[in-house]
Amino acid sequence: MSTDSPRLLSVVRDPADLRFRLAAHAGGVTVLAIMSLVGLFLAFRAAQAIGVAKFSFFTEQAWEPDAGKFGIAAVLVGTILIALVAIFFAVPLALGTALYITEYAPIRVRGFLIGLVDLMAAIPSVVYGLWGFFFLQGQITPVSKWISQYFGWIPLFRVDGTDLKDPLASPTVYTSSTFIAGIVVALMITPIITSIMREVFLQAPLGEREGALALGSTKWGMIRSVVLPFGRGGIIGGTMLGLGRALGETIAVYMIISPIFVIQPHILQAGASSVSSLIALRYGEATPFGTSALMAAGLTLFLMTLCINFAASAVVARSRSGASS
Amino acid sequence: MISPKRSVAALLIGVVAAAALLAMTPSAAQADTYKAISGAGSSWSSNAIAQWAVNVQQYGLKVNYASTGSSDGRNQFKNGTVDYAVSEIPYGIKDGGVVDSAPTVGYAYMPIVAGGTAFMYNLTSGGKQVTNLRLSGDVVTKIFTGKITSWNDKAIKKDNPGLDLPKRNIVPVVRSDGSGSTAQFSTWMSQEHPSDWNSYCAAAGRPTPCGVTSNYPTIPGKGFIAQPNSQGVSGYVAQKANVGTITYVEYSYALKTGFPVAKILNKSGYYVEPTASNVAVGLLGAKINQDKGSAQYLTQILTGVYNNPDHRAYPLSSYSYMIIPTEISSSRSFTKDKGKSLSTFANYFLCEGQQQAEVLGYSPLPINLVKAGLSQVKRIPGTVSKAIDVKNCNNPTFSKDGTNTLANNAPQPSACDKIGVTQCTVGTGGAKAVSTPTSANASSGGSGTTKSTAGKAGSGSSSAGSSSSGSSSGSGSSGAGSDGTASGSGSGSASSAGAAGQGTLVSCDADSGVCSNVVALPVESDAGTGFGSKQWLMIGSVAALLALVFVPAAIGIAVAKKRGRR
Repeated sequence: MSTDSPRLLSVVRDPADLRFRLAAHAGGVTVLAIMSLVGLFLAFRAAQAIGVAKFSFFTEQAWEPDAGKFGIAAVLVGTILIALVAIFFAVPLALGTALYITEYAPIRVRGFLIGLVDLMAAIPSVVYGLWGFFFLQGQITPVSKWISQYFGWIPLFRVDGTDLKDPLASPTVYTSSTFIAGIVVALMITPIITSIMREVFLQAPLGEREGALALGSTKWGMIRSVVLPFGRGGIIGGTMLGLGRALGETIAVYMIISPIFVIQPHILQAGASSVSSLIALRYGEATPFGTSALMAAGLTLFLMTLCINFAASAVVARSRSGASS
Repeated sequence: MISPKRSVAALLIGVVAAAALLAMTPSAAQADTYKAISGAGSSWSSNAIAQWAVNVQQYGLKVNYASTGSSDGRNQFKNGTVDYAVSEIPYGIKDGGVVDSAPTVGYAYMPIVAGGTAFMYNLTSGGKQVTNLRLSGDVVTKIFTGKITSWNDKAIKKDNPGLDLPKRNIVPVVRSDGSGSTAQFSTWMSQEHPSDWNSYCAAAGRPTPCGVTSNYPTIPGKGFIAQPNSQGVSGYVAQKANVGTITYVEYSYALKTGFPVAKILNKSGYYVEPTASNVAVGLLGAKINQDKGSAQYLTQILTGVYNNPDHRAYPLSSYSYMIIPTEISSSRSFTKDKGKSLSTFANYFLCEGQQQAEVLGYSPLPINLVKAGLSQVKRIPGTVSKAIDVKNCNNPTFSKDGTNTLANNAPQPSACDKIGVTQCTVGTGGAKAVSTPTSANASSGGSGTTKSTAGKAGSGSSSAGSSSSGSSSGSGSSGAGSDGTASGSGSGSASSAGAAGQGTLVSCDADSGVCSNVVALPVESDAGTGFGSKQWLMIGSVAALLALVFVPAAIGIAVAKKRGRR
């Protein structure tokens, strides 16, 4: 044995330690195994439909699996649009809430506020759906109308089939839209984004905070120069996790949208679509082949969400190692 | 710093919850115990089933029902995930080129209730709600196939010579899920107005001839709105802002939401409303499969209903069916215990339950179908052996000579319901108390309008003595007042037998405009079914949830205060 080689380390582990390691490993492996089994199951069930549709599965807009004409072009675009609208509203709201709770709120109400935000996450999504359908929809249509009136020249906000000068024009063209579904989803993903941001902001090092204040910074200046840069990873990560959840939101979207199967880029107009609400809508009544097609749509969503969540955790992980220096 | 306190709080909550659970030990361990049964399917008839399920709770029988649409119900029953299904159409119908295959294990159809597929609408003219719209079948088809797009279309004016309808877009609201209502409506369109229906179907990319479909085809960009479930479509139309919408839904949903339904032109030239008696008259023309050996035994052929020459017949009347298991198999979760529950439930709603049909917005089954249904109940495995004397059911359709009393005594339509005549001003559906003036008798217009005012509880009730309807209801949704709660009450029935003493109370939620039908039950309420351990458990869990949120915060605040003082 040469003297250059490092000496061998042998670790003698306590039995309790071993058991704990075993349990922890088992937990981790089980989660991974379940995830891959879900993926495998979806892929297995989807194979029949993808085999028939081939590449047109990604380009076809209609959803008539029994007629052999089906694809996810329309529903996937709809899903992403709803998620983007949700993120657009949820991120500023969550950022403000998290900053208020961590920086401004009196310490005695902080626990209460945290509980309140977490309670928002505990409300079942069907309740959000009912609220969106029966209450929000009627209240939000004038806003939709206003946006389309002044920003209708942007294709995203255009609404066809209505005459702005006609006082009797029905507001129904502004209902059941991507926009309304997105707002409801925004409320549902706000708590998760808020709690991630809050955690990260709380970790902003005290030394730097006090340093900034000692150098004459205002509170807002301190937040801008210390808390936000430090928490950038958390902001991005929280947003991505929220996005992942928004993509999969089902029942509230199902209750609000009027499903259509063409690519609908006008977010204020009636008619929207999303993968998960399509599955909820058609699963019960689908033929075996139709179920396979739905599984294929589910698989696409699964993979997409997986990618987004991986990206999010990568961002969060990197920010932790880098920013806490 | 507050985590120990937090855990104490959690422990406390746990103890409270456990105590609540212990308190819920079966206090009602009475003579008969029933296994809970669950079913799924039609939302068309779900208002009736939900009410019956509430009614049988007094016997300790728990019936779950998910109104997820007929297609879903049939599929779930086929897959053995539910104990029973409710559907308007049977298995074996070809829809979009695919035949809906029947379950391989024994099953049978049993009629549960009759009703009319109504056209509920939300329309205002000159700021006032229109409640007396009349439509011919041709116009209805053209509206729902996108050929008539404005309320001031000439064809609609022809049906409504007394109304000045606005130049508003018509927004047809259709079902987005697979539904029996859609199937009933499309059956009617495909038989009565095939050319319009087929050309629409072809434009929507369906193979023609289109025939019956459970999934309403929509063409993007036509302004149609698709919503899931009867709740969804009626809830959409009932939103105050959604003026100009019209949907097809069972009559009970119009009563529930307080909105009017269109009177539909029948073969004899009268515009009729789908009231219980008009539906009963219409269904005298239904052809029922009487072949006991056939799997399709008791299913309906409705051509005779569409063409019923009676003045009072509502053309879109139909029966709704329960699909029951007649065999126990490893592929379904059905057991003999569940058979006992299901047969008890079926015996209840085929007999006593029919009394409530009219109040709920349905029409009771005639005696031949009740008898046939009760004989089907005997085929359920584990059925209760109980001889039911149909004479004691107090079904308003029964008579001594076997004819349908409800249909016999159905009032003739008024002269103003005749085609070409200036229409009646009285409201329809859930908006009977709101009348709409017509231009021919404009003088009576002002006085005939009942409207709830803002900030004040308005009440409307139609005279119970009027022969046209069995139940009356009030509506507060026409007024601009958002906080006006309207309630109306009425009683009585067109027929002398049976339903006397039942009342309808419609209470409306001010925010959503959604009204709910509170039905007075003709049964004595058991004292124990009121405020029991379950209710306490619910209150307890709500309190626990609130405590979970507020107690740690309160403790935190208290601790912070203490430290601050020090």
